[in-house]
Amino acid sequence: MTTLIDAPPSDADGLLPPRKKQAGGGLGQYILVRFLLIFPTILILVTMVFFLMRITGDPITAAMGGRLPPEQLQERITAAGYDRPLLVQYFEYLGQLATGNFGTTLSDNRKVTEMLTTYGSATLELAINAIIVALLVGIPLGMVAAHRRDHLPDAVLRILAILFYATPVFFAGMLLKLVFSVWLHWLPVAGRAGTRTELSLTALEAPTGIYWLDALRSGNMAAFSDVMSHAVLPALALGLLTAGVFLRLVRTNVIGTLGKDYVEAGRSRGVSEFRLVTKHAYKPALIPIITVMGLQIAVLLGGAVLTETTFEWKGLGFQLANYLTARDFVAVQGIVVLLAVIVAVTNFIVDIIAALIDPRVRY
Amino acid sequence: MIKSTKALHRAIALAGISALALTACTGPSGGGGGTASGGSAGGGAITFGTTDKVVTLDPAGSYDAGSFLVMNQVYPFLMNSKPGSAEVSPDIAESASFTAPTEFTVKLKPNLKFANGHALTASDVKFSYDRVVKIDDPNGPASLLSNLKSVEAKDDTTVVFTLKQANDQVFPSVLGTNTGPVIDEEVFPADKVMSDEDIVAGKPFAGPYTIDSYKKNELVSLKSNPDYNGLLGKPSNDSAVIKYYADSNNLKLDVQGGNIDVAGRSLTATDAADLDKDSKVKVYKGPGGELRYIVFNFDTMPFGAKTPEANPAKALAVRQAMADIVDRQAISDQVYKGTYVPAYSVVPDGLPGATQPMKEMYGDGSGKPSLDKAKKVLSDAGITGPVNVKLQYNPDHYGKSSGDEYAMVKEQLEKSGLFTVDLQSTEWVTYSKARTSDAYPVYQLGWFPDYSDADNYLTPFFIPGNFLKNHYENPTVTDLVQKQLTTPDKTERGKLIGDVQSAVAKDLSTLPLLQGSQLLVAGKDIKGVEKTLDPSFKTRLGVLSK
Repeated sequence: MTTLIDAPPSDADGLLPPRKKQAGGGLGQYILVRFLLIFPTILILVTMVFFLMRITGDPITAAMGGRLPPEQLQERITAAGYDRPLLVQYFEYLGQLATGNFGTTLSDNRKVTEMLTTYGSATLELAINAIIVALLVGIPLGMVAAHRRDHLPDAVLRILAILFYATPVFFAGMLLKLVFSVWLHWLPVAGRAGTRTELSLTALEAPTGIYWLDALRSGNMAAFSDVMSHAVLPALALGLLTAGVFLRLVRTNVIGTLGKDYVEAGRSRGVSEFRLVTKHAYKPALIPIITVMGLQIAVLLGGAVLTETTFEWKGLGFQLANYLTARDFVAVQGIVVLLAVIVAVTNFIVDIIAALIDPRVRY
Repeated sequence: MIKSTKALHRAIALAGISALALTACTGPSGGGGGTASGGSAGGGAITFGTTDKVVTLDPAGSYDAGSFLVMNQVYPFLMNSKPGSAEVSPDIAESASFTAPTEFTVKLKPNLKFANGHALTASDVKFSYDRVVKIDDPNGPASLLSNLKSVEAKDDTTVVFTLKQANDQVFPSVLGTNTGPVIDEEVFPADKVMSDEDIVAGKPFAGPYTIDSYKKNELVSLKSNPDYNGLLGKPSNDSAVIKYYADSNNLKLDVQGGNIDVAGRSLTATDAADLDKDSKVKVYKGPGGELRYIVFNFDTMPFGAKTPEANPAKALAVRQAMADIVDRQAISDQVYKGTYVPAYSVVPDGLPGATQPMKEMYGDGSGKPSLDKAKKVLSDAGITGPVNVKLQYNPDHYGKSSGDEYAMVKEQLEKSGLFTVDLQSTEWVTYSKARTSDAYPVYQLGWFPDYSDADNYLTPFFIPGNFLKNHYENPTVTDLVQKQLTTPDKTERGKLIGDVQSAVAKDLSTLPLLQGSQLLVAGKDIKGVEKTLDPSFKTRLGVLSK
């Protein structure tokens, strides 16, 4: 049997040796170690991005290499400090980051912190939508596959899970767009909302930047409907990727749980197989999903770059692609630092939750 | 455990409700644009889509088409051009003229004001120009003011620009470029570029429109400015929206679906050809300022001055033979589907003073190639075997079709049997440095004008120390370029511009291939589109209406 992700063993398996309380360690130390690990993770990413971005040259040449005489070009490179040794530039940048100064973007002259706030909410909205799709598609289908294990529906769903997981996000996005937007005209081609809706949401006082939330807060159901129609395809393109993982995970875990003594006892009492799956077996099977969901945040953020670009969903991923093209070092570094922080912090939180649920992981 | 499972139930229920909402609200929507109701914009608003980006709304910090698209709608200019013309005239000025060889005096209209209620006076004008020069931002247009010595506000409505060089005939045009917006000295800081958000909040606008709401490079909503008193007049619409796209495919699909009214830059040639067949939209074409050309490095080209076989006559013959062979119309038709048209001069057709000397001088005399003429030129120069040309192009700076364009140039040259072409491409950052260090004997470049004047295609290219750095120098050409720049009489200046084009066509420092055309696609109900497609290359949303 092929599984994308094997469920971690749990106490319910009854296969693990009895736990021993260890002197010294414990939850506090575990949290501290995990917390401290966040910093080197971010530092490594920042360092890699800093040096990789500079391999292809300086941004002044990229922007104006064709229009300015070489002397003027050199003057501007010198004035901006891009002719200094790389290590000097690197340590200066780290110093700025330590003080919370992300700088100003080179290509469109905006404060990086302001840019991160503006586009971060769009990416958050996409990620929420994608997780909803992943849960709604992955969990029920995983339960169906487990219920109908080794029959045709199970085989079809397992293949479907692999397809979901293996299809590149941009390809899925383009395919969905082609079918539902270009051919059928059912859903919008791109963007987060129609022009009028965007204008009305922009005019709101203190918008959150999460469009469906802003539309609901303002009681504008037409705008909500418009926002949702724009959200479907990007959420599907990105969410199905994770749905594939959830489907396999739920299936494996439910099948494992269905062999447990208490389920057998229910079966012997005449409880139907459907009821066993939906009432008793799925609960313990969902716990590992919390752990996997944390890991999927990194996958979702990676996929968001491609999804946002495909659907002109103007979030951090979309901006990252633009700033990379413009070789805007400052902006790219800012976005990567934020993404690194999100991934590191999410994993930290998930580790803590996992440790609270299952104390064995602390040791 | 009970609590956690309940929480789990709730989470799943919440997810279910959200997803139901997600799917229930999806129905035929008609796409991504303005079909949704519930907004605040009026029905008469014009929505203009573009892939251009705003760098900054601060005139001191931007020198690009995307920023200028917005600036041109919301800021007032001293000089501008009427829709349909490239000739500059006073905009918010009452008069503007040379009052001495190095003095250009502008008299403002009385009682001008910004949208925030502040008075617009000569002091604001002085502040605006001094600021651009002082900030000298790397992305800014300060270089356009290289001939400006000082600005003086004589009184509330009189401004005197003192120039370094006398009779600069280009200066009035410069006042209508990226460097020209007049801004409010009570809003902008004097020594640094201001953020877009702060600019929008300060409402320092006195052009045909003011900015109503602003989401950078996503959506800009403009409202007609009743206080604008200038050359362009009151807009034909009450409001306009600029919607930004990253992908021209989405731009195309949205104009086809009626979600935007007009699609501007940058639809591809294939998009334009496809849209031409769509009955719901109309494709408008107008003269464009972009020039695509081949540069010859006079030191390193075949028989160039620093090659072992250096021979100026033979080098000239090679350039002339290439000019005889290249088939511009074929490239225009096959690669660009007519969105670029053949260029037979270094000054694009449509600009005052533009001629087409290369049409008669090379090929069959009517713009088509001539193999016989090329053969004769080479044999007369004593060149017997095929000439090997190392030809470079750039794949990432001048559009996706550069590869096809230069593959076709190679094919045309090699098909003649007179050339073998070693065609190579290099990524832009390296390319832009290498070309000025003599690395490429023959190579591709392109040019977008800073202002609509023939000089912008002459001075940067054909005087000693020009930005091409291709070692071309001709004292006669240098003298003619300088003369046209300082000749006040329009007729005489036009003749001089013609003389420069002929002289340069003989020397062939560069070989112009194609001239861009402006392209707009609009719904059938949109009026006034053709009015903004003129040789000024300025998009004016005020002429559009439904």
